[in-house]
Amino acid sequence: MNLALTEMRRSKLRFGLLAGAVSLLVFLVLLLTTLSTALVNSITGALNGVDAQVLVYSAQARDNLQASRLEPGVVEQVTGVDGVGAAGPISTLTTSAALKDGTEDLQVFGFQPGQPGAPTGLSEGRLPQSSAEVAVDGGGYVIGDSLDLTAADKQLEVVGLLRGAQFSATPTAYITEDLYGQIVKATNPGVPFVPVNAVAVSTQDDPATVVSAINEQVPGTKAYTKSDAVALIPGVASISQTFGILVGLTFIIGIVVIGFFFLILTVQKMKSFTLLRAIGAGTGRLSRVVAMQISVVVLLASAIAVVLTLLAVRGLNSGIPVSLSPALVAGTVLAVLVFSLLAGLLSIRRIAKIDPFTAAGAR
Amino acid sequence: MNDDFVPAHPQDPGLDPAQDAGSHADAILKVEDVSKIYRSGDTEVHAVSSATMAVDQGEFVALLGPSGSGKTTLISMIGGLLSPTTGSITLAGTDVAALSKRELTAFRAERVGFVFQAANLVPFLTARENLLYVSTLQKRISRKEAHARADQLLEELGLAARAKNVPEQLSGGERQRVAIGRALMNDPDLILVDEPTAALDTKLGRQVVELLAREIKQRGKTGIMVTHDLRMVEYTDRVFEILDGHLTHVEQPSALAH
Ligand SMILES: Nc1ncnc2c1ncn2[C@@H]1O[C@H](COP(=O)(O)OP(=O)(O)O)[C@@H](O)[C@H]1O
Ligand SMILES: [Mg+2]
Repeated sequence: MNLALTEMRRSKLRFGLLAGAVSLLVFLVLLLTTLSTALVNSITGALNGVDAQVLVYSAQARDNLQASRLEPGVVEQVTGVDGVGAAGPISTLTTSAALKDGTEDLQVFGFQPGQPGAPTGLSEGRLPQSSAEVAVDGGGYVIGDSLDLTAADKQLEVVGLLRGAQFSATPTAYITEDLYGQIVKATNPGVPFVPVNAVAVSTQDDPATVVSAINEQVPGTKAYTKSDAVALIPGVASISQTFGILVGLTFIIGIVVIGFFFLILTVQKMKSFTLLRAIGAGTGRLSRVVAMQISVVVLLASAIAVVLTLLAVRGLNSGIPVSLSPALVAGTVLAVLVFSLLAGLLSIRRIAKIDPFTAAGAR
Repeated sequence: MNDDFVPAHPQDPGLDPAQDAGSHADAILKVEDVSKIYRSGDTEVHAVSSATMAVDQGEFVALLGPSGSGKTTLISMIGGLLSPTTGSITLAGTDVAALSKRELTAFRAERVGFVFQAANLVPFLTARENLLYVSTLQKRISRKEAHARADQLLEELGLAARAKNVPEQLSGGERQRVAIGRALMNDPDLILVDEPTAALDTKLGRQVVELLAREIKQRGKTGIMVTHDLRMVEYTDRVFEILDGHLTHVEQPSALAH
């Protein structure tokens, strides 16, 4: 004879509606978080995936990789700084190409094979080793395809596919620094040297210490830990903040809905709770009834929300890779559960205040 | 109805109740010099004044009195719902006034069966579930025994066919009988019944009280029934009367003027 579950079974509509409302709110939380993560990843993936702990831009770049121009010699200078294990160039440009999926915008990254600055996140194949090869994230390619770099008049063989390695939510191609130089020279015949955008640094030391060492020892540069550099990518902060506010508000609304629903339910049931207190049910026992009902509603709502989110993510062909992370689901459900139970304290406080003698009264 | 349990009372009605209590040396319930004063702000209500009574094991007694005379207050103190302002209450050796809040909760669950004046049943539980739920509040009766006991009680109370109905689907008399079953469910030492016939017509009221008396006698239970209906007294062994908070033992209830 479980009071909590028996009541829920008798009032399926009431609790069903609540679970439905809560599931929509949990769904929104999951979907918004998933989308914002996907969006941020598609903007930051390339930089986040760089095999390095520290990134060095030019001092005038205002924290923006694409605005950064460094002479190639800076790579050696950085290599010489205390604590730097190895350093390699990162170069990037935006170009147009006839991509297999019909789109034209392509972000190109150049790196030195075997040096810091190479991408991670290879899902298939390997990284390019010669100036005839390319690894790509997006654009609809499979291994063995040929990628047509219209601007540089080059046909490249796709040897690797990457995931989560896009920059600016654009299909992104990874090529050798060598090939990158050829493209720059082909499109800008007069350039005195091929600039690099950043120097990628690997280190065994504390990245923050290496950052200060580089800032001190290499004039004209500004160094960042990788996570700082990623957070400073234009748009990332505002996307995270906007989505954060939406998710936070949705979350709070969900908790308030649960808290007030159970408070109303408790007030409506005061007569029964008073009777039960009078015939020997303790406050703890009755509080557990509320806690159990909240848990059942939250878990039921979460299950519905996960199904809805999976359907939405599948149905959503947004071009950027979107996937529902189990950690996000677990974290969200746990947070909703904990805060809902806290909101349930509103009801439990009412129960604790009951004077069981009231049940003996005539009314 | 059953006079076997009526002890001989040589005293005249209206005699010092303390003397009456004295003749029940090994009574299961002893109420000694109990008073209850309700205080709210500056006003004091002396709801019960220095009440003394003793009830033997197996006795079914009536507590008679007009509205507002202190009947509910007195049985609430006896049942551990309300603490007396002064005096002592002992049920089967337990000093009720000395119990902590937590102990009182357990005391009410295991030692006392209440039938209240008003709401007695949980509206979202069926008749059978209302009985079964109280069995979860104690540890002496196992789950299996509880199920058998609930079914037996419902059967005896003529409710077997209504076991799966929620209170809303039951008549007033049926609800009152479920409440009696609920009060008996945990095999308590003492059954306290507050105006069980108030909401029923005379015929139905009689039936309910008759059933109540039968259950109490059959099971060898001790019971106190509060009523202001003199006609219900015939089902009880002895009668106490309370007027303005003053409790007296009554020798010849028929002599009561109401
Ligand atoms: N909680 C309370 N606070 C103040 N006065 C009360 C309270 N409960 C009952 N009383 C008063 O105590 C007296 C006895 O009440 P009660 O025991 O309910 O009488 P009865 O059950 O005989 O009708 C009445 O005057 C009533 O107004
Ligand atoms: Mg009363």
